[in-house]
Amino acid sequence: MAETSEVDEDSSLNSKVLCRQQQIKTLLSLFGQRQAMTTGSLFIYGHTGTGKSLVLQSVLNHNKLPYIFLNSIECSSPRFLFEHILNNLPVQGSYQISQDLNNLLNIENGDDDDDYIQCDNLTDFIRLLVSFISESPLKNQTLYLVLDKAERLRESSASLLPVLLRLQELSGLNVCTIFVSEIVWEKFRSGTGFYEPYCLHFPDYSRQELMEIMCLDAPASCEKDLYSLYINIVLSVFHMVCRDLRELRHIARLNYQYFIEPIEKNEVKPSDTKKLWRNIEPHLKKALTSVYLREVSSRQWELLQQAELADPDSDFSKAIVPSRSYVELPYYSKFLLIAAYIASYNPMKYDRRFFAKFSAKVSKRAKHVKKSERTSNHLLGPKVFPIDRMMAIFYSIVEGKVVPSAYINVQISSLVSLHLLHQIGGEDKIAAPKYKCLVTLDFIRSVARTVHFDVMRYLYDFL
Amino acid sequence: MPKRAVNRERPTLPSRSGPKPTPKNDLEEARARLHVSAVPNCLPCREKEFSDIFGFVESKILDGTGGCMYISGVPGTGKTATVKEVLKILEAERDDGNLQDFKFVEVNGMKLTEPRQAYVEILKALTGKEATADHAANILNKMFTVPAPRSSPVVLLVDELDLLWTRKQDVMYNIFDWPTKEMARLIVLAVANTMDLPERMMIKRVASRLGLTRMTFQPYTFRQLEEIVASRLKGLQVFDSDAVQLAARKVAAVSGDARRALDICRRSTEIAESRTEDAGGEAVVSMSDINAAVEEMFCSPKILAIRNLAVQEQLFLKAVVAEFQRSGIEEADFCKLYDQHQTLCRFEGIHVPTMTELSAICYRLGSMRLLLTEPGSRDLSMRIRLNVSQDDIMYALRADIPS
Repeated sequence: MAETSEVDEDSSLNSKVLCRQQQIKTLLSLFGQRQAMTTGSLFIYGHTGTGKSLVLQSVLNHNKLPYIFLNSIECSSPRFLFEHILNNLPVQGSYQISQDLNNLLNIENGDDDDDYIQCDNLTDFIRLLVSFISESPLKNQTLYLVLDKAERLRESSASLLPVLLRLQELSGLNVCTIFVSEIVWEKFRSGTGFYEPYCLHFPDYSRQELMEIMCLDAPASCEKDLYSLYINIVLSVFHMVCRDLRELRHIARLNYQYFIEPIEKNEVKPSDTKKLWRNIEPHLKKALTSVYLREVSSRQWELLQQAELADPDSDFSKAIVPSRSYVELPYYSKFLLIAAYIASYNPMKYDRRFFAKFSAKVSKRAKHVKKSERTSNHLLGPKVFPIDRMMAIFYSIVEGKVVPSAYINVQISSLVSLHLLHQIGGEDKIAAPKYKCLVTLDFIRSVARTVHFDVMRYLYDFL
Repeated sequence: MPKRAVNRERPTLPSRSGPKPTPKNDLEEARARLHVSAVPNCLPCREKEFSDIFGFVESKILDGTGGCMYISGVPGTGKTATVKEVLKILEAERDDGNLQDFKFVEVNGMKLTEPRQAYVEILKALTGKEATADHAANILNKMFTVPAPRSSPVVLLVDELDLLWTRKQDVMYNIFDWPTKEMARLIVLAVANTMDLPERMMIKRVASRLGLTRMTFQPYTFRQLEEIVASRLKGLQVFDSDAVQLAARKVAAVSGDARRALDICRRSTEIAESRTEDAGGEAVVSMSDINAAVEEMFCSPKILAIRNLAVQEQLFLKAVVAEFQRSGIEEADFCKLYDQHQTLCRFEGIHVPTMTELSAICYRLGSMRLLLTEPGSRDLSMRIRLNVSQDDIMYALRADIPS
């Protein structure tokens, strides 16, 4: 009897969760009957958006198995983990009723703090867990502890992970700990002696599987074939750069309006694939540059879409896209930043050539040889420079006489706090601090343009 | 359903009214006498130290002054036993009325949760009062510095002195400072393991207060160890005379620890008993029994462990040795070792493990402490070192020795 019912459950589960038959089968056979002991710990890994949490939760929910779901990021200290587990035990039956009554009474009284179980170490946790479970009906079935983002558990106390791995053995209860993570099990090992969990891998979805899953999102007004055609077009553009199901679904939803618009206006017949493709492709190519980047929020995108559909000629996109590379700075701050940029990207020995008044002429041949053999400093990243060098460059590029007052130093420290400069050392007052410039070339060019300073003439890489 | 027997005798605690069960045979008797906890009445081979300490404490009590003595020696050389013996004799004399009244207080650094708890312990032993550490320190300070017509001197034994070390060394300072007070009449016997502890750990003013009355307990020579064992076995004919000598020589060569010698002798009586159990007859501990016990206690289990590893694990150790010999550095990255392991596998013609399998192997060896590894999160750049010598590995994995 149990066999047949299980098969039915399987088929209904598979209709809800697509393309994960193998994993569901493995999980179900590992879990077995309610009373049966399962494996002590289970480690599930796979990329983002491969349905780890979905499969696990739907299997557990569908079979009405008692489980506790916990995100490890929320557990900044083991205490939160213990208390979350102990306070959320899925108790059933008579015990639950009394518990509910208690809760009701407490809520009426206006404080339910009395019921909150406190626990801050492993020994107490196991003792309390054993005492709670052995007096509830839960003791006759397997309890599942699901820990999502399990890689965070490595960073908390060293004994936490080993204990959770052999919780079944330590508590003597029918408990199964399930770890869900994106990284492989080898990276979890440290110290001495782990109980090795059963590892289960969730592979990436193939293109066919992605199509099958994404076709579920078809709006009611749209025909199945037409929508699958649309998904096919979307995948042909985006599958190269992105296989994340979540992101692909987001993109498909955003651009659907472009696709369906000509059909709704009866300009193109639904059967005319070529025209539809030609119509949608430029829009998708444009969206390609903003995969994963939420520069434009979905709401803004929709507004943009409506505006563009209404009036294709107008240039709305530039109006909405925020220009990130523009910051309003005081006059001297701009020069300080330019000086810092030059100090970061120019070799020190060329300072004389750029900034000294009477510099020695470099022979053309020497210049040639140097240029061919050097690697660009812009590829290697910014270098560290002492504050004296920056100030020397600053005084030589800034126009007019600047008094070296406290005002200038305040501007340097405010540049650091704006994360335009990065300070290294210099906590003690005697050692001169060193800095690194953190801004891009485009940014510094736009800053230099506002003060009419040609920064490119002073950069060694661009001579 | 099995019916329960009604008038079955219920088990009870054995009655203690009769005499203690006497040992059945000589071997059991010997084992009881050889136990470390059975401290004999007389301590052989420590007569000189005994008389020195006795003279020091007795003269201080008779003079009515205070003083410090620092006693050092490696573990198992009879420091605490000798001091306790001195105090036992002195207390017996006091009870006989030959000596004026004195109090004996004992503090063990290892038994304190925190150095400052020493004050609490001392106060409790002297007056029976309980107080916090600060308060106890104040009371003790007053007790030892303010002149009061107190009747009895105090003998304070501080065992495991090195654990009373604090950053400011205030506990040590106080303990050694009180005896210098005129009215204190405190005699401190400080016991520790290292000879140069005052010079190494203590600041100058503490070391100076400790003074120069020092005594070092030398490790037992093999003759002394032999005498100790013989004194415990007086009247019993269970040991070959050569057997005791072998045990004594083996221990004296390594540490001169009397506890170790007694343990070996006890273990060898057990071996002898199990050996003669089937044969019957009188059991005498022979040289071979001692040898077996010494092997058991002194030999390192690492070679045995290496020999019993799985094939791939042994091969990985070989790969580590090969990589070290190639590079000449006693440390290697995991990726280099993987290459070596692959080569060795191909050479042997066996299955090449995947990276995952090999990292599991590496981790297993690391948790056995044959290797020293880093956390697995560094995966390929994990640095690996050996925790056994390369020669040991080559010796253990030599083909001609049957495992």
